[in-house]
Amino acid sequence: MTERMDEQELIRRVQNGDQVAFAEIVTGYKDRIVNYLYQFTGDYQKAVELSQETFLRVFFKANQYRPVAPLSSWIYAIASNLAKTEMKKARRVSVVSLDEITSHEVRSKAYAEDRPDSGLLKNLRQALDELRPRYRIPVILKDMEGFSQEEIAEILHKPVGTIKARISRGRSMLRKKLAKAGGRKPA
Amino acid sequence: MDEMSLLKKLDRVKAPPDFEQRLMARLSLEKRDASRRRPALGLSLAGAFASLLAVFAALNVFVLRQRPPVTVSQAEAEAPAQQFIPVIETFDYGTEFRSRAPESGTIYLLEQVSDTAPGGITY
Repeated sequence: MTERMDEQELIRRVQNGDQVAFAEIVTGYKDRIVNYLYQFTGDYQKAVELSQETFLRVFFKANQYRPVAPLSSWIYAIASNLAKTEMKKARRVSVVSLDEITSHEVRSKAYAEDRPDSGLLKNLRQALDELRPRYRIPVILKDMEGFSQEEIAEILHKPVGTIKARISRGRSMLRKKLAKAGGRKPA
Repeated sequence: MDEMSLLKKLDRVKAPPDFEQRLMARLSLEKRDASRRRPALGLSLAGAFASLLAVFAALNVFVLRQRPPVTVSQAEAEAPAQQFIPVIETFDYGTEFRSRAPESGTIYLLEQVSDTAPGGITY
């Protein structure tokens, strides 16, 4: 509650053009937003670029924020919309050089936390990347970012029932893809 | 092990160390651009409005110049002798009904629409 009040105070200051308050918001959210966008796009460099764009919008569109929802929901909503737009653009133009892929992998590993990546995790990553955005976003927000279904509904501007259905379907699709990759029947 | 709990174990990434510096640099640039754009936008809007006004004035002066009001006698004098062709067509309902009678799907609804006797239809 106090955190939310602090955030409301911060965003109120940002609405008046306070860059110090803006920097505090950035410090508080940068890792979460970069990670969220990385899980969504699977591209670290793109995730960083989109995160920068997200925070710029937070600053310039701060007056559009209404305190009915938590600040985090609003920031994640901006990030989600940007990511979806980027995905649509990428679908239209999907030419990537081999060098770019290699350098991206090196960069993303550089900032990743040290954790051994087993075959199962690799399969899971691949399965997640293959999910359609309408299922991937709610699954990431729920299972990786820890949002409640109500909060996700707020972020994505969809009814809670739709979100529940998409999470359930997304998880089921993930299980099937994992089972297929592992050569066993889904549970 | 539940696959969903594995999602939490997927590699999490963090923002690069220079994230904030880059963001603040971009913010300064964007603010500067925005402050430049604002007067430019105002000027271009004013320019567009002035051009529209000039075009409107020119049209009024040179193209749509108002002529003095025309009197009836002037109009009659100027107008060529006009021929009026009266178009009067009588409508014979009796023939009309007879010619349509063989068509089985035809239903005639006759209703009186006026109490006064018809004085003929003039077109």
